[in-house]
Amino acid sequence: MGSVTRTKLMSVMALCAMIGLLLMPILVAIPALADGSAPAADAKKEGGEAKVEKGKDVYYKTEGIVSGPPAPKTTDSEKDYPRYNFESRVLLWFANQQHLYYGSFVLAVPIFCMVIEFMGVVTKDKAMAKRYDQLAYDFIKISLTAYSLTAILGGILIFTFLTLYPAFFQYLSGIFRPVMHIYALMFVAESGTLYIYYYGWDKMKEGFLKWIHLSMSVVLNVIGTILMFLANSWIGFMMSPAGVDEQGRYLGNIWHVIHTALWNPLNLHRILGNMAFGGGVVAAYSAYRFLSAKTDEERAHYDWMGYIAMALGVAFLIPLPFAGYWLMREVYAYRQQMGITLMGGLLAWLFIIQATMIGILFLSTNYYLWQALGRMRGAEKYQRYIKYLVFLLTCGFLVFITPHTIVMTPAELKAMGGQQHPVLGNYGVMSAKNGGINVIITTTVLSFVWYMRGNKVSTVSWSKFGNIFMGCFFFFAYLNIILLAIYGYYIPANVRVGLSVPQVATTLSCLFFMFALNSVMMKGAKQMGPIEWGKISARSQYALIMLATAFTWMMGLMGYIRSSVRLFWHVNEIMRDNSPWAYTHTVGFAANMISANVLFFWISIMFVFWLGALAAKKAPVEAKAAVPGRAAAPAVGH
Amino acid sequence: MKALMSVGALIGVLGLLMLIGMIFGVVPSNTVRLVEGYMPMQVLSELAVFVAGFTGLSYLANSMGMAIPRFWQGVLFWTFVQTYLKFRIYPPIPFSVRAMYGVVSFVAVFMWVSANEEDWKKFRQPILNVLDANTGFHKALRTLYLILLPILIGGFSFLTMKPSVDEPIELRTVHPAPPASTKVHGKTYTLQTSQNPYRVNLEGKYDQAYSNKLIVEQGMGRLMAPNANPWDEKAEGYLKYVREGGEIFFQNCHFCHGDNLNGRGLHAFAFNPIPANFTDPGTIAQLQETFIFWRVAKGGIGLPNEGFPWASVMPPWEQHLTTDEIWKVILFEYWHTGYYPRTWD
Repeated sequence: MGSVTRTKLMSVMALCAMIGLLLMPILVAIPALADGSAPAADAKKEGGEAKVEKGKDVYYKTEGIVSGPPAPKTTDSEKDYPRYNFESRVLLWFANQQHLYYGSFVLAVPIFCMVIEFMGVVTKDKAMAKRYDQLAYDFIKISLTAYSLTAILGGILIFTFLTLYPAFFQYLSGIFRPVMHIYALMFVAESGTLYIYYYGWDKMKEGFLKWIHLSMSVVLNVIGTILMFLANSWIGFMMSPAGVDEQGRYLGNIWHVIHTALWNPLNLHRILGNMAFGGGVVAAYSAYRFLSAKTDEERAHYDWMGYIAMALGVAFLIPLPFAGYWLMREVYAYRQQMGITLMGGLLAWLFIIQATMIGILFLSTNYYLWQALGRMRGAEKYQRYIKYLVFLLTCGFLVFITPHTIVMTPAELKAMGGQQHPVLGNYGVMSAKNGGINVIITTTVLSFVWYMRGNKVSTVSWSKFGNIFMGCFFFFAYLNIILLAIYGYYIPANVRVGLSVPQVATTLSCLFFMFALNSVMMKGAKQMGPIEWGKISARSQYALIMLATAFTWMMGLMGYIRSSVRLFWHVNEIMRDNSPWAYTHTVGFAANMISANVLFFWISIMFVFWLGALAAKKAPVEAKAAVPGRAAAPAVGH
Repeated sequence: MKALMSVGALIGVLGLLMLIGMIFGVVPSNTVRLVEGYMPMQVLSELAVFVAGFTGLSYLANSMGMAIPRFWQGVLFWTFVQTYLKFRIYPPIPFSVRAMYGVVSFVAVFMWVSANEEDWKKFRQPILNVLDANTGFHKALRTLYLILLPILIGGFSFLTMKPSVDEPIELRTVHPAPPASTKVHGKTYTLQTSQNPYRVNLEGKYDQAYSNKLIVEQGMGRLMAPNANPWDEKAEGYLKYVREGGEIFFQNCHFCHGDNLNGRGLHAFAFNPIPANFTDPGTIAQLQETFIFWRVAKGGIGLPNEGFPWASVMPPWEQHLTTDEIWKVILFEYWHTGYYPRTWD
């Protein structure tokens, strides 16, 4: 047997092993799925002497056999809440948040690797293929160090739970016992797969082996996604419990416990959020390397890397508000008071901060793209119109951040003549905000379209018609979004909620149709000049850092909001939090805490980056030769 | 192009003159009125017109060789936005919101002036000139800044630290989250699922679509829908209940909430905040009927912890009205304002 065949065989075996690892927890879980029938069977065996107690599912309203103890009624004591001379909740908050930051990062980066590696495999340009491959390798290298840190932080989190909230954790682990075991096994599978994927990179870089390697990244990401879904089921259960009766007794159906009212919206929201966050972090890393670069080659490489990371991050950022909207809709449908607490009541101001952060994300993205026009010759024709985009973005942003609950002095309240302002009151409700965010996203799409055609002139015979069509399409898209936002005031709320669908459809139509049309128009386009990678302003890189910081801050904020909406419940309406910290923090304290978490994450991730740079191996000679900026970058560089 | 820009410039100049005139009282402040109900779009449209006008002005100034430096364009535009927000919009916008808008417009101006390298150079040149101080004028300016800046910062710090006798700002929760259920006259109502028993069709069945067709039309005038006059003696079912609700409203509620339901009743201005304005899209239009039922029944005293600072003097109407009367008055409020109660289906 030749050495190549042996390598192929080994690679296929490794892939099979990974798939086996992926399936192993499912096989292990099969008896657990039947867990619910066990008590019934046992009871029957006893000849019907022992009574089978039945309970009603608090969410699904189905009957089930009581298979677990009720939720503990805790008291403010050392037994239920052992503590240091410090607020236990803050310690848990910190451990949780750091674990989540790193967890999101290490789940997102392999997805990027998969996409970039795939682009490298399918591209016909060999130089570009090597660049993509090198970039994917750089990405996974960064995530590998972060992966160990994620595991360590996960351990710290578990210990914090066990030592500070033992009663609650015992209850939760009692219900989620099989899920937690599957989770642990999946984690083993994830680790094994990741190491084979990383260390097998050089061995499997050509032909059939490369496809095997690419398949491994798919398996790796499937495992990672399942891991996240399982973890989401715990927080979903805490917010909107199911599968238990009113006393919190497990009713034997593990699927009901996992598949709660908010599980699916949370899954979607988190996967998109992780991707956007991962893109932001890698973009910030590239920006940092760009700003500290000593040579033009380095600057060109990190400029390109930053652009790719930003583009991937933003690709997931665009649908993120829609996923968030779905989540909130489900929250309202699950419990009206929970929705009102979030968006109209106690936590409403945090949502205004969130809106501000979302606005900053889109503003930073647009700003980066406008700056990126500067490294293309021929893009000057678009720059004079940027001020109009700024105006559209600003109007959308101002509406989007207008609070419904206004902070004001009693004197201002009196001067305003009541709590409701005739202008601000209209901007402060959902109908206007939907319009605002859709205008912002559509403008971002427009900036992308300008960027994509920055240094090109279409040569297709129908280019004039195409340009007019695109202009009209965007114009009517804006018009439709704004008119629907106004129309929203004149119709019932349930219809108004549905109006978001045509608004989102309009925005997404701009995204898909205009990108597609633009690509067709720019096929074989005349290039006014190359993209001069590395010749972008330093301001653009600060915009990338801003993007990443805003992502990090927003993740911390939204996590806090989602968690604090339970108010004084560990598990909503099932298990009460009787610790001395069962109150909602002030907005100021929460903001400081989130900032501290963000600061710690960035300091620690800088350490990870530094470690990554220590182990950096020199880029292959061929890849260097193809560094953008040195040679004309092909159109696919967009 | 030049003609278009000239028109833009003309609009810009006229708009500016009008705004300045209205601020200083030279032009009557109601020359161009902000019309309630249309104000939000009117404000955005006016700003768009001003932007177009300023573009025209800038273009004309350029073509006449009198280009306004980019630095001053940025400064003037930001100042214009602040002036507009402070003096054009009435009732006045609270400082917290103006501060937010101010920061956003500052960022927007920065994004505009630094969007490309050439503009950015133009913008920062005057700043660099002052810092470099290569001429006598710039040297004097720099010295002036050196003296003024510490004074300004000191003054700002002083004003911040100075003890104030003003009432502190309040983050009043307009719509505190309701409980899952509420007990009124011995009966428990689940807020998520309860329905107004009087929102019925001619067959006596709960039918929101039916009642939706009979409410008054929104907008100025608030006209009654054809053949939907509750005060018609022949009115039956839903419309009859609306009339009964109206009678209860005018016997009990209108003293504070006003005969137009806009929170400006006879006694309204004895309170701060004045009573809720039901015609505003941010009040009952955002809420389920059961939320209103809970708030009416329990009043200000029944507000939950979240309702801090509990600034409501509304009595707990369950002590004065029957459950049926509360439902009917709610029916009337939605009918009169032309809003639909929130539903989740």
